[in-house]
Amino acid sequence: MKLIIGLSIGIAFGAVLQLGGASSYRKIMGSLLLKDLDIIKLILMAIAVGTVGIYALDLVDMANMSIKPTYVAGIVIAGLIFGVGFAVAGYCPGTCVVAAAEGKTDAMMTVLGGLAGALLYALLYPAFSGLIGVTNYGQITFASALGVDGIWIAIPFSAILLILMFKVLKDRYD
Amino acid sequence: MQDEPVISWKVAGAMVGLLLILATALVKPLGVSTQYVVTDAVLLHSAAPALAESNEYLSQYGDKEDWGVGYGWMLVVGMFIGGGISAFITRRFRSREKASLPSMWRSEFGESTPKRMLHAFVGGGLLLFGARLAGGCTSGHIISGISQLTIGSFIFGIAVFASAIFTARSLYRGRLAS
Repeated sequence: MKLIIGLSIGIAFGAVLQLGGASSYRKIMGSLLLKDLDIIKLILMAIAVGTVGIYALDLVDMANMSIKPTYVAGIVIAGLIFGVGFAVAGYCPGTCVVAAAEGKTDAMMTVLGGLAGALLYALLYPAFSGLIGVTNYGQITFASALGVDGIWIAIPFSAILLILMFKVLKDRYD
Repeated sequence: MQDEPVISWKVAGAMVGLLLILATALVKPLGVSTQYVVTDAVLLHSAAPALAESNEYLSQYGDKEDWGVGYGWMLVVGMFIGGGISAFITRRFRSREKASLPSMWRSEFGESTPKRMLHAFVGGGLLLFGARLAGGCTSGHIISGISQLTIGSFIFGIAVFASAIFTARSLYRGRLAS
């Protein structure tokens, strides 16, 4: 049953990303060059809706959350590496799968590169696992850190994101 | 333009948010990058079982589904199917000619297909190396993680965009100057 749910949600997710232009090299690079902010705004909109929804589910104990541990040093280094890959490839690990499905051969190379990168990480894991142990604060969220129900942070946070999307972030076309 | 999105960022973003809520209610939040490891684990296990099982990182993910695939992997396969179907219906499926060279890339870096392929491959390698070190990517950390108000995910998101914006500006210096 879970397999069918996964497949169904995946099909909808892939279609929405494709229809929204998130599998387009030009749209992704437009956002990273801060010229056409649609993809950044798409992500912010997903977060604005998702945050309130997840913490509303949490109020009735229906959210199957999965909080990733916060190991500051490792995550900063990882983010910097990921960011270079994001701009060089022009895709991210999910959008390259969708772009590959569109017949874009460069995105297929990104998928293959991704498989190689993940394998390289698996081989070097003993050398990097120490990085996960330092500055590790565990499964910490702004809700748990402040000791309040997440919904009281989620609502103002989403409101700020909406202001960002509709009032602050403007495209700067040439 | 063939590349122009069919739906706006508002609609697409809201739909991704709703899918995230649905996934969290039914199973767990969205995530893609783990499935690259699962794929590596399953492939290596079918070729050389002992080698796969002796790798600490691969066996973390391989053992969980008995060296097979689960919910998360089906989600990524679904993304491929869904993206393919919607590209086909909206007539955005690429013909083979020049399918590897985005026009924006061509205007900056020229007509070399091998060069673009190399960038795409190396970029993919960096993406997944970084995502595995962080424990998630754009979907697992930035969208799902920030939506759960995870502090590490905010940090990851800031580091990613700082680095990606800097790198993109370096790559497209010429375009920005003109």
